[in-house]
Amino acid sequence: MGVSNAVKYAYIVARVRAMKSKLIPREMYPKFLNMDIPEIIRFIEESEYKNDVDELSKKYKGTDLFEHSLSRNLALTYRKLIEVSQNEANFLITEYLRSWDIWNIKTILRGKFSGASEEEILEGVVSAGQLRYRDLTELVKIDTVEGVIAALSGTPYYPALEGYKGDLAEIENALDKWYYSKRIAAATETGNKLFLKFLRTEIDLKNLNILFRMKKAGMERDDIAKLLIPGGLELKEADLNRLASLPFPEFVRALEEYSYWSTIADISNDLTSLIQIETRLEKHALVYASQISHYYPLSILPILDYILSKKIEVDNLRIIVRGKETKLPEEIIKSHLVM
Amino acid sequence: MAVKDNIKPTRSELIELKKKIKLSQSGHKLLKMKRDGLILELFAILEKAKDIRAEVEKQFALASQKLAIAKSVEGVIVVKSIAFALKDTPKLELESKNVMGVVVPKIEASSVHKKLDEHGYGIIGTTSRIDEAVDAYEILVEKIILAAEIETTMKKLLEDIEKTKRRVNALEFKVIPELSEAKDFIVLRLEEMERENTFRLKRIKG
Repeated sequence: MGVSNAVKYAYIVARVRAMKSKLIPREMYPKFLNMDIPEIIRFIEESEYKNDVDELSKKYKGTDLFEHSLSRNLALTYRKLIEVSQNEANFLITEYLRSWDIWNIKTILRGKFSGASEEEILEGVVSAGQLRYRDLTELVKIDTVEGVIAALSGTPYYPALEGYKGDLAEIENALDKWYYSKRIAAATETGNKLFLKFLRTEIDLKNLNILFRMKKAGMERDDIAKLLIPGGLELKEADLNRLASLPFPEFVRALEEYSYWSTIADISNDLTSLIQIETRLEKHALVYASQISHYYPLSILPILDYILSKKIEVDNLRIIVRGKETKLPEEIIKSHLVM
Repeated sequence: MAVKDNIKPTRSELIELKKKIKLSQSGHKLLKMKRDGLILELFAILEKAKDIRAEVEKQFALASQKLAIAKSVEGVIVVKSIAFALKDTPKLELESKNVMGVVVPKIEASSVHKKLDEHGYGIIGTTSRIDEAVDAYEILVEKIILAAEIETTMKKLLEDIEKTKRRVNALEFKVIPELSEAKDFIVLRLEEMERENTFRLKRIKG
């Protein structure tokens, strides 16, 4: 990375470091596990989430207030990152956080599809991407799926949506595929090889996730192939085609050839549930992002690490509180935490 | 006695009563057989009902845990959003079948347990936590439908057994004894009349 680029990142990285220092220390999570829900909520009310809790306390109560506060805080934090960054950093952060725009579009389309009320749909919206809350509110006011798609005609999401013929799953998949290809294109444009490697690893892990689910459900090769995302690091197109055509037990055995096998090898004997496999693969991506963020301190990588660390904080808090609320055994809660 | 008051002690009435007694006795025998058959059928259904109830409870516990994991890890916001994508609701068709004269329901369900790509949501942006929660609840709904069919059949059989038992008892302890009593009364009365007649004839001859 050139000196000029390093200078460009100095400001945003300094801001991100300051923001990262405010994250809940990881040693707090085991303590949360021993606390009651009201105690955890009280802790959160006195932390960085105070404003969000105060803001939403009229609308929600209890664990719903907790979850919506976390979600609001996450959205505002990511929006702040977009606002304080410039040039390349801004471009890459915006591209990375497009996943939230896609999430919001999907939620609005699903809501319109099922005839949910505007309020119900807006509850599921997290304006952490480029689309602001007021844009999303305007979209929610439109009555039909077709109307929402037409309103998005000026956005980059439109090409993935315009083929809608009544099958929501199809355009959801098209949106996700578009998102992954867009991120790869953005990273390639900036020439940040390590960031690109991370994104391609993420694609591999996502493809593995899709393969596991589809193979276990006994889906046909062609149905699987149309969902797989090109551009992975280890799992190239030929690998994906081969894996998609194997029966489930052979598919699992074939994974031994790839580096990801070490992440799941010890739990690959019992595949009655894929939840543990999926959790391991997700953690693999997060640990990898954290590792590479230290290689180039003045680049997009520390920002990426912060984005993921913030997400982990929100996810961990939610898992603990919702897990306790739904009386999940502690070992299940622990197995999903990233500490 | 009320029965005797309304009886005409005639031969034709006696023949009529004998016919009624015979009919009641054969009805009683048939109803007893039906009751026993229904009880056997009930015991067979009872085993199935116990099994399906246990399966429903087990599946409910599993489904609740899967949903709890999905709500915790993905968040309620995500679960609700994905639930909006639900394509179609299960369709139930209610038919009936006959078990020893008892009409019991037969429930045919479609679109309950769907394939992975038929749930309505995209695969790429979702996780197996959602799939497994959806699957577990779909299987639960299927089992509840089966349990509803079996338990309604059981209820109907029980109602019919009770009804048949009442009929058997009524025939055994009321109808047949009363008819027999009436028959005995007529026989006795006819014999009495016969004797009176003989006595009258003898007096006229004398």
